[in-house]
Amino acid sequence: MDARALGTHGRQVDELISLGLPTVAGVTVPVAEVASLTEPDTAGAVVELLQQLSGRTAGHGERPMLIRLTASAPVAVAGLPPDLPVIGLTPRNSAAVLDAVGDGSVLHEVWAGMLRMIGEHALGVPSARLGDLLLDLADPREQVPALLTALAHEGTEPFPDDTARQLALAARTMLARWETPRAARARRAQKLPPDLPLALHVQALVLGPWQDSGYGTATSRDAETGRFRPTGSFFRGVRRSAPRPPHAEDLSALPGGPGLLEHALLTLEQHFAGPASVEFELRDGELALLSARVEASTSARVTTCLAVDLVRSGARDEPAAVEQVRPSDVVELMHAQLSLTGEERELVRGLPASPGAACGEVVFTSDVAVQRAAEGHRVVLVAAETTPADVPGLLAAAGVVTTNGGLASHAAVVARGAGVPAVCGASALRINRTGDTTTATAGEHVLREGDLVSLDGRTGAVYAGELAITAARPPEQLNIVLGWADTLRRLGVRANADTGRDARTAVELGAEGIGLCRTEHQFLGERLPLIRRVILATDPETEGRALAALARAQREDFRDLLLGIGSRPVTVRLLDAPMHEFLPAPDQAEDEAAAVRAAALREANPMLGVRGVRLALLHERLYPAQAEALFSAWLDVRDQGVTPELEVMIPLVSLPAELETAARQVRASADAVAERSGVDIPYRLGAMVETPRAAVMAGELSRTAEFLSFGTNDLTQLTYGFCRDDVERRILARYQATGLLSASPFVELDTAGVGGLIEIAVRQARAVRPGIKLGICGEHGGNPASIAFCDRLGLDYVSCSPAGVPVARLAAAHAVSAT
Amino acid sequence: MAAADAVPSTITLGEGIEAALVDLVVRGMSRGDPSPEVRALAESGLALLKGPLAMPTPRGTQLAGDVLRLPPGSDVERQVRSLYEAFLPVNHRLRDVCTGWQCHPDGRPNDHSDDAYDAGVRDELDDVHDAVSPILRRLATALPRCAGYLPRLEDALDRLDDGDHSWLASPVIDSYHTVWMHLHQELLLALGVSRSEDADLEQRLVVARAAG
Repeated sequence: MDARALGTHGRQVDELISLGLPTVAGVTVPVAEVASLTEPDTAGAVVELLQQLSGRTAGHGERPMLIRLTASAPVAVAGLPPDLPVIGLTPRNSAAVLDAVGDGSVLHEVWAGMLRMIGEHALGVPSARLGDLLLDLADPREQVPALLTALAHEGTEPFPDDTARQLALAARTMLARWETPRAARARRAQKLPPDLPLALHVQALVLGPWQDSGYGTATSRDAETGRFRPTGSFFRGVRRSAPRPPHAEDLSALPGGPGLLEHALLTLEQHFAGPASVEFELRDGELALLSARVEASTSARVTTCLAVDLVRSGARDEPAAVEQVRPSDVVELMHAQLSLTGEERELVRGLPASPGAACGEVVFTSDVAVQRAAEGHRVVLVAAETTPADVPGLLAAAGVVTTNGGLASHAAVVARGAGVPAVCGASALRINRTGDTTTATAGEHVLREGDLVSLDGRTGAVYAGELAITAARPPEQLNIVLGWADTLRRLGVRANADTGRDARTAVELGAEGIGLCRTEHQFLGERLPLIRRVILATDPETEGRALAALARAQREDFRDLLLGIGSRPVTVRLLDAPMHEFLPAPDQAEDEAAAVRAAALREANPMLGVRGVRLALLHERLYPAQAEALFSAWLDVRDQGVTPELEVMIPLVSLPAELETAARQVRASADAVAERSGVDIPYRLGAMVETPRAAVMAGELSRTAEFLSFGTNDLTQLTYGFCRDDVERRILARYQATGLLSASPFVELDTAGVGGLIEIAVRQARAVRPGIKLGICGEHGGNPASIAFCDRLGLDYVSCSPAGVPVARLAAAHAVSAT
Repeated sequence: MAAADAVPSTITLGEGIEAALVDLVVRGMSRGDPSPEVRALAESGLALLKGPLAMPTPRGTQLAGDVLRLPPGSDVERQVRSLYEAFLPVNHRLRDVCTGWQCHPDGRPNDHSDDAYDAGVRDELDDVHDAVSPILRRLATALPRCAGYLPRLEDALDRLDDGDHSWLASPVIDSYHTVWMHLHQELLLALGVSRSEDADLEQRLVVARAAG
């Protein structure tokens, strides 16, 4: 029989038995028979059977058998009736049970809870009456007799002493409780049928001396490290499911130690090929499992470590391990964090209350937090504790540190709710108020309002000063999985990198080359005047001088970039910025003439104006100067033994003739460098496909281009006629909310429209030049769904941000296994 | 006109203004266009307006405390005190429920994609609500101004069950947790208990309960 008849618990017990693992003596009453358990005769037969199985006797002996009734449904479901855990307990035998257990307090509480539930659901005593009764008598030892009296006087019948009759009432309680509005709501919330049935499980209660007995839950993995380590809670005494017992101990407190659970959890992990979670009981050091399941909610670290461990133990193969890790796991493991050098000063360490990293200036009150944040400052609210009055400050702050309070404190709850990183309970930090001045001291360090601090809400550490926030490096286990992914994927993975530093990060994260170097990014900041002079030059001589300065600067940048990426492919896109990014503001021109010229060059729509190859055709010496700088840099690094594979890319092409003209310029530069140096520079020349026209003319372009790279950001803008900056704010959110679009086409490639153009381009390009290299370099290169599409089209590579490279490597492997 | 800047040492507040002050202090703040009453509070130096936010000044908080404080040693203070002590262990459980709603046990944020997990936490909230209900029913008799809390909590539950997850723990609406915090704040003011006394007492009561 399966879970449909036995309930999930009944099926699990069968499974545990078949794996040879220890279980509790018990009887499952299948779905079809549960109603009969409410009959004292049937209940009596079950008690009889249970006595034989457990070797104990119900009633009044020295260690009488008690019974626990548990329910489960054919599917896993939350909101089941709580266990009725001490059936068979009576005023007459309770002294014997207490003797056996050795500590009565919890037993009475459990007993009172059971009586209350049976009174309410099987004996018709109003819930409010029972609630009031329990409120008046705080001590459970007084509650039990009072409840028994109330049930006798106000219930439809007194609560019986006979174990079988108690069991029958308990069964009736379970079934009635399952029909309450509360249970119905739980089924609805989980999209389960309203008439979902129950199976009931009657178990011989494991009771033993208090110190050596108890129950608990354990999972096989440590969520923090991901490694195999039985982790969970242990409670001494009698098991109950609600309310949650208040006094949990760590598994290290387990009589016999946590090793007791290792065999069972390892067996179950191999069996499930997933992290295992068990409920267990212990009596006199003897383990029995009550249930086992795959731990559904697992951290990225757990998933990744387990995937590796399962391969190493031979339970799974590498492709299965790669499949098991999700792109979101990689993202989670690559979470931004404080960049620590070892030089920083740790002020204090508290509880990791809300994840994330934050830097900002210290403020001590909610008022000041609101005020400074409104002025555009990033603030960290430091307070002893918070109250509702501090909520505005909590919401305005970049981070929160409290000296009192735990993970469930007001500050922690609000901070998590608002997504603000927080460290709570940093008790070594002292807040001192003298008059109007507040300071905080951590050891000898004094923090005043306005001082900069940084905090890591995942470690609980607070540091002095402003620390850099950077992308994390993947942990070792993830590197192993990504290494397997690399052997499975067809797509190459490159990175978009503009500087040597980006390139080095990209290589570290597994990029096989650079798919896009945006040369205009080298001209922002202090280099801006160089390119500005080229554009504003009015005579060839001025332009020449400006170009020479620009080429010198670029040669240095390229050298750094090429050294960073090493002997790998590098696609360098020649200048593609819209003109307005380089024009001076009217009051910032070097002189009057420049101001006039700049005004004349201003465009109504710069994104569609003099940009990319168009600019190069107006300034014919620009691309040659850039190309020469690149080729010279290649010669420089070749002397150091590094030979990158250069790919020179012409942007924003629409006409094949534009490409041919630009190509001639680049070739002339290559020839000039070759003549000067005596070395033929190996390089490929290609086009970036960003306009719909370029996509449908890809065949023609491929007569000149040795590679094509799809710039899907611009291609999406131009295909839809969307200006991204405008529509993202005002249109896309609404389109997604109303279901016109399921995802932003700037995040997930529009495979039907933009993708359709790419398909046409791929087909035509290959018809003209069969071996042509094809890739994409828009932000879509890091999006798993878009990567799957690129794999289906048979592109050679995707290129994404350096931080996105690990996700792309995994997603490219998933794309293969999906086909 | 130097005297106009000084805050008078005693203030007699109109009834509407007093209610607005108490409301503001219990809530900690109000958002949106300030009401005429809140403007009047700001003019008397009892509230601070910052953009769309109004917050009580320390003086306003103190004054509200004076208004709400039950006569020390009175019967009603004794009754409310005993209800408050019954409330504290439940308060502890409510915070656990909110934490569970926001984070999985392993610390991952709850994105509400796991219906079964959410239903489990929601079910625990019912236990908390069942435990606090008799306390609030009695409180409504002892201290009629608190009669509104149980309906407000039930309203938050209804909205939560209508499918908007934010009605359990979001700090920016009158969610279950927000109303609960207001209730807690009002009890503290009525009894003259400070936050740190409150935390110590809760800790003691929870431990006492655990130890039986």
